[in-house]
Amino acid sequence: MIELSSSKRLILGNEAIALGALSAGVAVATGYPGTPSTEIIETLIKYGKIYSEWSVNEKVAFETAYGAAINGAFALTAMKHVGLNVAADPLMSSSYTGVEGAFVIVSADDPSMWSSQNEQDNRYYGLHALIPVIEPYDPQSAHLLTIEAFKLSNEVKHPVILRSTTRIGHVRGPVELKPPSKPIFGKLTKNPKQYVLVPENARRNRVEQLRRWEKIGEEVEKLNELIDNDSDNLIIASGISYGYVIDAINELNVKANILRVSTPVPIPKKLILRAISNSSRVLIVEEGEPIVEYQIKDLLYDEGIRVELHGKDLINRVGEMTLDKIYYAFSKFFGLDIITDYLEVPQDLPPRPPALCPGCPHRSSFIDLKKAIVMASLKPNETFISGDIGCYTLGLLPPFEAQDSSTDMGSSIGIANGVYRATGSIPIAVIGDSTFFHSGLSALANAVYNKTPMLVLVLDNRSTAMTGQQPSPSKELDIGEVAKGLGVNYIKYIDPFDTNSSIKELSEALKWVKNNRQPAVVIAKRVCALLVLDNVEESNLPKAVVKLEKCTGCSICYDYFTCPAIIPRNDKKAEIDVYNCIGCGACIPICPFKAISLEGYKPEKWDELWLQ
Amino acid sequence: MATVNILIAGIGGQGIITAGKIIAEAGNYSNTKVLVAETHGLAQRGGGVNIHVRIGDVNSSLIPLGRADYLVGLEATEVLRNLSYASRKHTTIVINKYVARPVLPKVKILSLNEILDKLKGNRVFLIDANEIAIRAGNPKAANVAILGYLYSLGAFNGLISEESFIKALKYESNVKAFKMAQTIKLREE
Repeated sequence: MIELSSSKRLILGNEAIALGALSAGVAVATGYPGTPSTEIIETLIKYGKIYSEWSVNEKVAFETAYGAAINGAFALTAMKHVGLNVAADPLMSSSYTGVEGAFVIVSADDPSMWSSQNEQDNRYYGLHALIPVIEPYDPQSAHLLTIEAFKLSNEVKHPVILRSTTRIGHVRGPVELKPPSKPIFGKLTKNPKQYVLVPENARRNRVEQLRRWEKIGEEVEKLNELIDNDSDNLIIASGISYGYVIDAINELNVKANILRVSTPVPIPKKLILRAISNSSRVLIVEEGEPIVEYQIKDLLYDEGIRVELHGKDLINRVGEMTLDKIYYAFSKFFGLDIITDYLEVPQDLPPRPPALCPGCPHRSSFIDLKKAIVMASLKPNETFISGDIGCYTLGLLPPFEAQDSSTDMGSSIGIANGVYRATGSIPIAVIGDSTFFHSGLSALANAVYNKTPMLVLVLDNRSTAMTGQQPSPSKELDIGEVAKGLGVNYIKYIDPFDTNSSIKELSEALKWVKNNRQPAVVIAKRVCALLVLDNVEESNLPKAVVKLEKCTGCSICYDYFTCPAIIPRNDKKAEIDVYNCIGCGACIPICPFKAISLEGYKPEKWDELWLQ
Repeated sequence: MATVNILIAGIGGQGIITAGKIIAEAGNYSNTKVLVAETHGLAQRGGGVNIHVRIGDVNSSLIPLGRADYLVGLEATEVLRNLSYASRKHTTIVINKYVARPVLPKVKILSLNEILDKLKGNRVFLIDANEIAIRAGNPKAANVAILGYLYSLGAFNGLISEESFIKALKYESNVKAFKMAQTIKLREE
């Protein structure tokens, strides 16, 4: 439980957004976990006094919050940037209907792709859907602007996007907090003429939508600010760029008026015209795409104003905003000679990608799968393994190299459908339990319906592990039963730690697919190691031990199994790093010389915890 | 007010985010603004991670290239991977004597000596933070030992007091690791 006793707290930007929503009176909050958005819903769930849920995917999360907002509630939905693509369908229509209460959609974008497949700039969704986008620049402004987003939404009865980025959501800093308000739930509002989007209603809504859009254009003016330093130079800084601009101005000692843009969509036209009319040169600083820049150029053309204007010609649109980018832009704009002196990173460093955790059950799943492919007489280099989004995407790394594609949630089964159609070779779709429910279901129905031969291997670790072990529907819904309900005729469960029987089951499933030309589902079921550790006293775990007289230094355990807790000694024999080993025992069947065993006492219900 | 930029690098699971939290909280007790940009997501799975800590009158969270006042490696190799944040002129490099092997087959790792060789000509300090942590009774306190060492190097002078750190450290074993690290003689490599 979170108690909001002190007013100044040191928190993450995402926590600041959650606490801002509470201060605005949020009553219903939904989301699907995804970096860098996860802590928003996590914080609201911890607070415990409003309704908040992890939904099965972003579209359902969106619709749940929207359903509350059209009945008068103050609602929030949060997701990462690519998650909003999943919810794009209801997003576009929500702008037509508007809402009764307040509806804030948090899109956490990830420029530089710290943990994402692309760095799309979701401010475009605002232009596309005619939904205003509010953009904070630090944790404090994230808190205050969340409150403003609810106010604006409620005032104009329209959804509002709050767009943050990694360096807002995952920056920890001091935040002066506003106290929480009583949550505003709705009351049943039946208004089918507005909310049933048959063409007749939608056409009327379209006119209303544009009316609201005009009003929004006026309302946003007050959320932006011009800092007049009596200069000919104007810097227009959107969102996170504002903080960087302030620091660069202080550091380089240059003079400019600064226009802080908190609403990149729509831009505050009056304020911008006023600022530009007093300037001879303008620099637009924004992260990502030239969204403010396009709108300003549009505005200036309409007003017949010509002014020296710079933006993306001086600031790279690749990757996140940095002071270095601004130093470069300032050096051109102000004609400064800025020399950055820094050391070169040596070229010969060993790579260090993140890896599957010690005790991860699905390290074994990948090993079992690769052996099963050979046993089923398929050619490993001609077998397409269609991957998906989750920890197990790390199976792309050596030694597994067991992901030939991974593009979006649920893509494993969807892409496998096409792989078979193009090549005629049987693909293997590898998908996690949470992702299976997120958007694997409809792709699997497609495979059944079109009789597409494929093996679907569900790596069920009983959670959404990648983002911090949030609960997954697999705890309540049996994946095998669901697959059966979708018409899958071959369903098996395996325990990945039971290597011999898993290899046998997987190769039989592959043979069955080959012979029967339809999809089969195998569920590899074992709990995420981090989730197991949450339920035991960590100081008292069993440990793997290598009997050195039996170890031949064959390197299988550290080079082919690659558990981070097994390390090579100078004589190539293996030893266990006791700080990393959690005593799962997965390495025992891997050693051909039976040199590894478990020592120490297993905590209470240890074996049951792994197989819940 | 002066600003200090500290980049702390290492690998997932070493408590780097916690170290950032402790500096931020200690800064709060000393009424000094601290912004910490954290790496989440893939971080705890043993990959390379870092945090940017900016202390003082700052509005943006990332340290520019070459502008780290302190470049700290909780794992020694990761100092090299983040070297572009350092400059020969004004960066102090602090290295924990710990080299972790990446979880990939047949990767040749650099020895501590090879790492130090690549850093010749820079201001480098070595500390065995893992050993201090074990002696302090908490093997996970290597991150705090590094903070104690940074404190003796003067990284927080005029910005964050020792009392503030002790208040932010919370656990007895953390305070012990912090204080033990301060008793080590500062010796430039």
